[in-house]
Amino acid sequence: MRAAIESDVCIVGSGISAAMVADRLARTTTAKIVVVEAGDDTLPLPQRLAARDRFLRYGENPWGKDHLDGYEIEGPLQSRSMQVGGLAMHWGAVTPRFSPEDFAHRSMFGVGTDWPITCDDLDPDYQEAEEIMGVAGEQGPADLDPRKKPFPLPALPLTYNLGLLKQWAANAGIATWSQPSAKNSVPYGGRPQCCRNDTCSPICPIGAKYSPDFTWNALRRANKVRLIPRTLVRRLVLDPSGTTISHAIAANRDRPNEPVELHAKLFVVAAGYTWSSHLLLLSAQDKAPTGVANRSGLVGKYLTGHRNVQGFVELPLRLYPGMNEQHSLVTKQFMRPKTGSPFIRHDLRIWESASGKGPRLVDERGALQLGDAILDDWRKRTQTGVARVRAYYDVIPDKTSELTLDSTRKNQWGDPLPRLAFRDAPESVEMRARTEDSIRALFGDMARAGNGKLLRTNVDDFQDHPAGGCRMGKDGATSVVDSWGRSHDHENLFIVGAPTSVSGGCANATLTFCALALRAAREMARGLPAAPKAHG
Amino acid sequence: MPLVSRRRFLATLAAAVPLAVIVRRAHAAAVTHLESDPATLDALAEAVLPSSLGRAGARRAAAAFREWGAGFRENAELVHGYGTSRLRSTGPTPATRWATQLDQLEARARMEHQQPFRQLTVEQRMTLVRAALQGERLDRMPSVASANHVAVALLAHFYETPAAMDLCYGAQVGRQTCRPLSAQARKPLPLIKVSEK
Repeated sequence: MRAAIESDVCIVGSGISAAMVADRLARTTTAKIVVVEAGDDTLPLPQRLAARDRFLRYGENPWGKDHLDGYEIEGPLQSRSMQVGGLAMHWGAVTPRFSPEDFAHRSMFGVGTDWPITCDDLDPDYQEAEEIMGVAGEQGPADLDPRKKPFPLPALPLTYNLGLLKQWAANAGIATWSQPSAKNSVPYGGRPQCCRNDTCSPICPIGAKYSPDFTWNALRRANKVRLIPRTLVRRLVLDPSGTTISHAIAANRDRPNEPVELHAKLFVVAAGYTWSSHLLLLSAQDKAPTGVANRSGLVGKYLTGHRNVQGFVELPLRLYPGMNEQHSLVTKQFMRPKTGSPFIRHDLRIWESASGKGPRLVDERGALQLGDAILDDWRKRTQTGVARVRAYYDVIPDKTSELTLDSTRKNQWGDPLPRLAFRDAPESVEMRARTEDSIRALFGDMARAGNGKLLRTNVDDFQDHPAGGCRMGKDGATSVVDSWGRSHDHENLFIVGAPTSVSGGCANATLTFCALALRAAREMARGLPAAPKAHG
Repeated sequence: MPLVSRRRFLATLAAAVPLAVIVRRAHAAAVTHLESDPATLDALAEAVLPSSLGRAGARRAAAAFREWGAGFRENAELVHGYGTSRLRSTGPTPATRWATQLDQLEARARMEHQQPFRQLTVEQRMTLVRAALQGERLDRMPSVASANHVAVALLAHFYETPAAMDLCYGAQVGRQTCRPLSAQARKPLPLIKVSEK
């Protein structure tokens, strides 16, 4: 037997981008919204304190069953998390906006590809995302950090440690400010003020950090959405003309022999950078032999993100690690290369750190320490402090930075799993060493400015904040969706959030994914019955 | 009807009991062992932890360590690493080896000093611990569960607490505890010395 579910809007996925779309459509339209999530419902807030305790004591996953079995894929998958709320259930809630330069690589620097929108175009959507989540922040210098309205919440205050490190950065000629974060600096949205539990990622025990479940809970309570967990959408099926999506076919994990058909006027694929492209490619059919929305052949291509160089600087400062470990300083001073200088762009963040300053069992000579010796040794070594510095830098994606279907690995329904391969464009390969050297040199200069010492640096082997696979653009031949996230090929199909990114910028990207999703929802709402205007 | 030998009966029974049940029972037995005879662990804590904790503080640390052991769950999924899709789980219970190692310290004390471990001087206990750790690869403080020896596990457990960090810095940092946000801009207050009763 085949169950059929009817709605005006069917959203595939329940992560942070999906939550933004649902929130906006629920406020501005009367559309009947169905949200389909492959994973389970997430851990309720009242259980998070106990789950955090198990995480701190034993390192256990605080989110319980938050992934699907049998999804071991080839390639650098960012996380196995698949649950209501998605990966943002254990995000760090760091929410800078992209810089104007992030959207205009080609026109400003002659590299990469311009986005079809500007930072200015996205400003209202950034603001709306910040207001939904409750972003606490302070504006940096307006030319580097433009915005039209203030942050909805005052900035998280700097810790004593960050106050010292801000002065250190200033001595090195770098102006820094409090990193914007979706953490309540004051009570907001029915959630309490942050009280520095230090475990924002992976789990905030009190709900001071925004996560998408809060939006889903509110929408469900108000009967604004129907959210169906444990149901995996396996195919999007086109109507006979091939121009619109007729329905989606899903598998209910509790009743695997009873396929579910989802019928809607509008389909929104909001399944993140991996599972969005994966679904579109899996949906290959007569009228779309290489996959839905894939007339350009670019579904799954141009996977993007950014790499980082990280360093640890010992400073003659008495720091007290643990005051609010996950909060940092940020600057956008290095987002805009000077005219005539090589293309090198990056952000810069500064944290307190306990790296290399922990207690140890043996002394420098390798002799075992017991009793008071360990504490004495630890005290001696913590008279000076350590700062962690990290710079995300631009990686320009190659077309072959891609997600493909892996015929050698299949899920329990026999569908091929994705295979991920991130590849830099040749121009990005050419600039990589120069960029990393430049950042290391900057760290060295900073260390010297503080009479400190650069202890070590490292480069992560993965690209952070992965995105792309359904890049946006004006031309249907060179992009998958338009600037609103609408498929060039199918008028009733939107793809939202991370997959639509053209490039990964050089800052944490989740807020940008949310803003893109809200922008898409604005366009969706134009074709849906408007909600009555609220009075007062 | 043929009679079933006792040996065969036990073998059949063992085959019928799932391995997980046997492992759980071993863990429970080790936890019971640690709890029923706390003296050796308490004495170990007094020897390897900072003397400023005093006897009462060392016992509290040992009790917290025992509680940690009792709460350990085998094969529990560990938190996903960032930037990786690899799933990992906790390993076998460390409580069984800790119980054995405490028994070994006790046996060694009786053999070398003709006294129980708890009645040795702190120096004598330290010497026995040093001997037990001969050949172990030691450097940074490991995680509690991965510590090979009960003495190292006890140290690891104590030194990862917010209280240990406060002791080191002589300040009320209160890492990983709920504290007013407004207070974070000021230098942490000095640690208040509580005299032991």
